[in-house]
Amino acid sequence: MIGRFVVRRIGVAIVQLAVLAVAVFFLIRLLPADPVARFVGLNATPEAYAAAKANLGLDRPLTEQFAAFLGLAGDGRVPGLLQGGLGVSWVSGAPVAAEVAAYLPVTLELIGLAFLVAILVGVPVGAWGALKPGGAADKGTLVYGLFAGSQPEFTWGIVFIFVFFVGLGIAPGPLGRLSPLTEPPDAITGAMTVDALLAGRPDLFLEALHYLMLPVLTLAFVLSGPIIKMVRENTGAALLSEHVLYARAAGLPARVVARDALRAAFAPSMTLIGVLFGFMLGGAVLVESMFSLGGLGQYAIRSILAFDYPAIQGVVLVISAISLAVYLILDVAHAMLDPRVTL
Amino acid sequence: MLAETASTVLAARGLTVASPGGRAVVDGADLDLRSGEIVGLTGPSGAGKSTLAFALLGLARAPFSLAGGQVLIGGRDLLSLPEEAARAVRGRDIGLIVQNPRAALHPMLDVGRQIGRIWRTHTGGDARAARDRAVEMLRLVGINDPDRRAAAFAHELSGGMAQRVLIAAALAADPAILVADEPTSGLDVTVQAQFLDMMWRAAKDRGTAMLLVTQEPGVLANYCDRVLTMEAGRIVADRPTRAHFAGRAVTARATIRSLPEAAAAPVVTAVSLSKRFPLRDGKAVHAVDDLTLSIRPGEAVGLVGESGSGKTTAGRCLLRLIEPTAGRVTLAGRDLSTLSAGDLRRLRAKAQIVRQDPFDSFDPRWRLGRSLREPLDVHRPDMDAVAKAARVAELIRLVGCEPAVAEARPRDLAAGMLQRLAIARALATEPAFIVLDEPTSVLTPDARREIVALLRRLQDELGVAYLFISHDLTTVAALCHRVVVMYLGQIVEEGTTAAIFDDPRHPYTRALIAAHLDEDPANRRVDRPQPDRVEGEIPSPIDLPTGCYLASRCPMALDRCGTERQALAPLAGDRTVRCWRAAELDTDNEVRHAL
Amino acid sequence: MARPEMARGGGAAAGALFRIGAGIVGLMIALAAVGPWIVPYDPYTATEVVSQPPPPLLQWPGLLIDTLFRGAPAPHWFGTDASGLDVFSRTIVAARTDLVIALAANALSFGIGVTLGVVAGYYRNFATEALMRLSDLLQSFPVFITAMILVALAGRSWGNIILALTLLYAPIYLRLTRAEVLTLRERGFIEAARAAGVPDWSIALRHVLPNALRPALVQSSVTVGFAILLTAGLSFVGAGVRPPTPEWGLMIATGAGQIVLGDWWPSLFPGIAVSLTVFGFAALGHALERRHAG
Repeated sequence: MIGRFVVRRIGVAIVQLAVLAVAVFFLIRLLPADPVARFVGLNATPEAYAAAKANLGLDRPLTEQFAAFLGLAGDGRVPGLLQGGLGVSWVSGAPVAAEVAAYLPVTLELIGLAFLVAILVGVPVGAWGALKPGGAADKGTLVYGLFAGSQPEFTWGIVFIFVFFVGLGIAPGPLGRLSPLTEPPDAITGAMTVDALLAGRPDLFLEALHYLMLPVLTLAFVLSGPIIKMVRENTGAALLSEHVLYARAAGLPARVVARDALRAAFAPSMTLIGVLFGFMLGGAVLVESMFSLGGLGQYAIRSILAFDYPAIQGVVLVISAISLAVYLILDVAHAMLDPRVTL
Repeated sequence: MLAETASTVLAARGLTVASPGGRAVVDGADLDLRSGEIVGLTGPSGAGKSTLAFALLGLARAPFSLAGGQVLIGGRDLLSLPEEAARAVRGRDIGLIVQNPRAALHPMLDVGRQIGRIWRTHTGGDARAARDRAVEMLRLVGINDPDRRAAAFAHELSGGMAQRVLIAAALAADPAILVADEPTSGLDVTVQAQFLDMMWRAAKDRGTAMLLVTQEPGVLANYCDRVLTMEAGRIVADRPTRAHFAGRAVTARATIRSLPEAAAAPVVTAVSLSKRFPLRDGKAVHAVDDLTLSIRPGEAVGLVGESGSGKTTAGRCLLRLIEPTAGRVTLAGRDLSTLSAGDLRRLRAKAQIVRQDPFDSFDPRWRLGRSLREPLDVHRPDMDAVAKAARVAELIRLVGCEPAVAEARPRDLAAGMLQRLAIARALATEPAFIVLDEPTSVLTPDARREIVALLRRLQDELGVAYLFISHDLTTVAALCHRVVVMYLGQIVEEGTTAAIFDDPRHPYTRALIAAHLDEDPANRRVDRPQPDRVEGEIPSPIDLPTGCYLASRCPMALDRCGTERQALAPLAGDRTVRCWRAAELDTDNEVRHAL
Repeated sequence: MARPEMARGGGAAAGALFRIGAGIVGLMIALAAVGPWIVPYDPYTATEVVSQPPPPLLQWPGLLIDTLFRGAPAPHWFGTDASGLDVFSRTIVAARTDLVIALAANALSFGIGVTLGVVAGYYRNFATEALMRLSDLLQSFPVFITAMILVALAGRSWGNIILALTLLYAPIYLRLTRAEVLTLRERGFIEAARAAGVPDWSIALRHVLPNALRPALVQSSVTVGFAILLTAGLSFVGAGVRPPTPEWGLMIATGAGQIVLGDWWPSLFPGIAVSLTVFGFAALGHALERRHAG
């Protein structure tokens, strides 16, 4: 049953991505931007302008450009969307798919670690806040959750850099993923911590973690807000629920009652985690740029500011595909946990 | 008799529960429960019945807290025991059945496990034995196929089934005391009767002492040995059931109304009305199936049946508030289905509706006067503001309220008062016909009686026709001239109120009437045999049975019933019945049989 | 039964949060209104002093008295940045940039989303179904990156930022309002109005719209906060308003380069301003939500 559900959902996701691909293709071409001028400069001769336009393929009708984007037309040198290609970057001349593949692991590593930290801290703290309604812990977690959840990554990144790097000197500066003097391990997965372990270099692993300390702290801080708020609310609702009251009336031991409440509180939290993941892809843009991590977010900034259409399309599609995959995984997990959810 | 000889198993003394503000929600309650005795606890909503029931287990719902008194069980005071010892008493010595069984069960654990773990907690058995015990208990409470049901989750159960699971869980550890907090409040009458019979039997067989919280006089009269009455947190009366009912007008029979004399043309007629709600997979919910009905001016027709029988949809179709799939409705001589949208809106002055929940029936943001004026704004362009205000005041007085309530908002009023105003609004445009969709079912018994009296008075004064949709046979008998019984979207029997109540012919009608709890402790349901009963619950209106819709539940079903659809056929004495064996079911026969 | 407890326990906290939130929001709106007239320096004109730290806190009372009563030139309360611009003046004036963009985007998306939400919930037909699919499509775009694309490609102006945010936020209001309308449609008082013969448009306008507004109103405080974050975030990465417009994100980004050198003030003060403002809107939104629920 789960298998059929997954297949159906992947089908739906492919349709969604196809619509998204069409939408993003035409959206960016509808906007009044002139990528040719961006590449040749405002003082270029009309001939140079025309040559550049032809070079980018922008002289052809929109339908032809779209066919080339899909891979239905063109010379076949550049694989289109139907062949699994994302085109060639106008800035670097390299295939967008390859560039994305190089930048994406950095972002996933950052977000993954931030989620890990935020959940490890947020779940117990949120549950603790729910135990005694009206108590100090309840109020404290409420205010913290609201505060952290509303905060901008860029402010806190700066604060953390100032406190931990400039002030205390216990964190490295915002200059990348490893010290410039360190020879990085072979890029196998693209995630520095994993590659360091694969290379059998615990020293590099620790150094990579050290360099990720402030970016992860920044993201995890912002992320911990909604997680604490949600866990606190769901646990509070579960503790006040009829089934917990009934379990107490039936004389079940306190630890069983607590387990029941947590079980009921956890399942509905999963949907929000998916939403937050999509949200974090945006937050990562800011953190990556602040700490010069060179992830997909920074690639997105660079491509957008350079009007690099193929790269922009690629980034949007890849990020959306990842979000859809995360939703799917969470839905399956939710269904396995909660019998009320039917697939 | 029993009460005098049996031993007291629970005694509460000065039991007090307080709200955070220090107000006593339960104020110094004293009560005794004796083994083998079923004690009813009744009183208006908000009197503290539920809170008292919980307090007997040493528990209070947030934000209330136990503020004093004793609960003595087996010589020990539950309230002064250490938490661990008190916990062990709950579930082992005193079991609980609550109002909303599906919410009381954990949504993510199967019910077998939930029953089993309560038993394990109190007996120390192993998991294997707990599962066996759970299945055994499910069988005991009359659940078919208990092995499979044990693996079900709360959301997969009907209300009646979930309530049986709770009683199975409560009885698992064999407690001497059972507290049941309005256990049948969400159930249909036939299911309610099945459940209460089963619970009564289980308690009597085991000699369990039981406290049964209920607002229903019928439940008290039929199942309780003694009745405690609560008001504003205090127990104000404690007397045997017969004493509790002494001096009340007992039977509804005395109030059955005769048909109005006038033989005028019907005010509303439905011919072959059907409503199907299509589903995604090509199937459809058959809510109303080939319904033909007519109502004359000044007549009150009762439409009865369990939830899911299509009565509400039928009422909506009659007013074309939802579009019927097929059939025709004629209102005041005009065919509703052919009217333009504008004409239909103008005709709406003639036909009105009053709904179940009065709080839902008024815009919460509007003052009631404005809500009452709304129909006048539409239909009476000739009236100026002063005239409308006068009419609103007149309407409010007509239903027995003070005109000042026009300034109130819905949340400021009690349900009974608000329902009167809903009736006043329905009367604003002087309609000829009103659909009353369960207008009394969320009201207290007292408010219910008042609304019925009001509706009778209004009908006598104004000559308006009613379609009174209800599952409560007492109010139907008190208000209606004629009764239509629906089952799975079809009319199964129709006749005068006297005919239907005194001599029901369709097996379903008979079961419905047999399941009705008369407010008469001298004629208890548990004291007489019950030949007319239907088993189980109403089938799905999506996959309809091939033969007679009732066949799977009918005590009289023969092979033929399982294959042959039944037609509505006239029977002697101005009635129609949808059952080929109806003629056999003569009450005289029945009486001879019983003797 | 759980209701009174939630309303009461949450009520006290909601009351405090409401006051804090409303206070911060009120202050920021006031600064946005009068900021340019009360600041001591022109936010666009560089002074002689470059990268001057703010005066120590202990000296502030004395400096304040000197400035107000003795005619002394105003100090650079928050210091000056690397180009010599007065950080205090720019931080105050920037409130206007960020709040105007965020409030305008919120008002537009609220108006469009709520109107379409009532229509899509009350009239269900092919057109409104298509509208919902379009809204789904908009919501499946990654928010921040899409905002960057829209603004960078359409031109980095206030108007374009407002339009981009409107496009991204309108679906939220549309969805919220439609869901509320769908439950309202089943309510008895709507049916009572239909049964009374009240025309559909009148029901939609008088009964449905006023009752369906609440979730959108509660959401709007949260949305304004997010819009401020997004506006500042866009300029932080260079896809928002153009320098030298006083804008918090832009100021933080400009100052970020100096932070490793220990010059914390050019970016910290605008940082505190964003931080405080968005918390104010979040607290206000939470308090409104609690009141709505209670």
